[in-house]
Amino acid sequence: MANESMTMSRLWTWAIPVTEENWDALYAEQLPRVYNFFRFRVGNDALAEDLTSLTFEKAWRARARYRRDVAAFGTWLYVIARNVAVDHFRQRRPHVALEEAAEIPGGDTPEQLAERRSDAELLGRLVAQLPPREAELLALRYGAGLTNRSIARMTGLTESNVGTILHRTIKGLRADWPEGA
Amino acid sequence: MDERFLENLRREPRPEFAATLRDKLRSQESRSVAWRHGRTRALAFAAAAVIAVSLFALPSVRASATAMLDMFRVRKFAVVQFDESRLEKLRSLKDERAFLIFDRKEVHREPGPARYMASLEAAEAEAGLKAARLTYIPTGLIPDSIYVEGAGEARFAVSETKLREALDLLDLRDVSVPPGLEGQWVDVRKPPVVIQTFKSARGNEVGLMQAMSPEVALPPGLDLARLAEVGLRILGLDQGEARRIAQATDWRSTLLVPVPMNASTFRQVTIHGQPGLLVTMENGKRNGSVVLWTENDRVFALRTTLGSTVAVQMAESVQ
Repeated sequence: MANESMTMSRLWTWAIPVTEENWDALYAEQLPRVYNFFRFRVGNDALAEDLTSLTFEKAWRARARYRRDVAAFGTWLYVIARNVAVDHFRQRRPHVALEEAAEIPGGDTPEQLAERRSDAELLGRLVAQLPPREAELLALRYGAGLTNRSIARMTGLTESNVGTILHRTIKGLRADWPEGA
Repeated sequence: MDERFLENLRREPRPEFAATLRDKLRSQESRSVAWRHGRTRALAFAAAAVIAVSLFALPSVRASATAMLDMFRVRKFAVVQFDESRLEKLRSLKDERAFLIFDRKEVHREPGPARYMASLEAAEAEAGLKAARLTYIPTGLIPDSIYVEGAGEARFAVSETKLREALDLLDLRDVSVPPGLEGQWVDVRKPPVVIQTFKSARGNEVGLMQAMSPEVALPPGLDLARLAEVGLRILGLDQGEARRIAQATDWRSTLLVPVPMNASTFRQVTIHGQPGLLVTMENGKRNGSVVLWTENDRVFALRTTLGSTVAVQMAESVQ
């Protein structure tokens, strides 16, 4: 009855625990990817940890429905991560808080800025100025380490379109990158 | 800056962070496993009930190539109590035998993985369903997740031989299988399901699931009562009780909800003037209540850890 129960059970998500070894392996594999997706997306390590936690908690609660398809769960994890990122940017206040503003290096030259920021932080600042789609593709490709094909499937873009957008994005970042950084 | 430069910016998460998150997930796991078990056992609304329905609906006459006329749709719910050891036995049987009563399956539409949605409006668009809203949400609960499970369609071919073997394995020697079942097809259509979940900081959970009724299409002319009796015997009811329930139930519109003895209570409730079913688990970590009801061709299930009174109040607030 396993096969028919598989279909029937989806009526109301009959949750059956998965083999824990699979999930441990999945967690070990996906945690760095999701974490780096957010590092690239939000440019802040602490915030990336928070958003990674949120993503895994949301996914973990429903993972039993992926008992028979761990690969589908992996893909789904990025759907959640992308939504978490979208929610984060939507909820973020449109203005900059004073304590944050105090940290903005107003008037710094690119060289001074580069001295004060690590490469990752600098990249985060540049990525924050990108359009959301470009920023997301960059985070999926170089943060999460996904292939262009996977990203294309996930975003509905063509594979060549993903490659083209990424190429242009990197070119733009390179142009904005301070010399010597 | 180039691709390699960007790839080199990746960093492993802090070990403390990875460990803390893993522990947090594990602690949620133990709660949700308890909840899942409660849900599974209390309801069997998912698989067991529908399996039971389709089991009852095994075709007993020749299938007409053009007429799959008998159609099951959920209109109401009925409870049957069963011995939990029987469910365990059925589970072990299905693990051993893969197909208990069907020997072929054709999937015409895979539901695919559940899709996490950013809003109820997005879920509505995904499911093609105008979702009802909860207008009463107890203090402390906040929206957690919204999922859509896709539509699925499949058909299953009955194996009379396997059904007889299953009856033998369950030691049901006195149950006779109606003739003419072999090779008959049962079609199952599962519409998209919208699922909203809420949670509180104290660990309470609420889930509201809604969908159009699933449909099970059957060859015409079935003796559903007789087939239902077989299904009820498989669930562990004795001959007299199985026959009585089988004769008294409209199997084309009643979704049978098996609930375990000694682990749950149930009673009929009224939701928006329609009869519904409240199942409450009161068994240590498996506490939880589920309200099932139908309204305008739609099936609802609301589950919560907040108790039966709140469960009914929340169900009543769905608009």
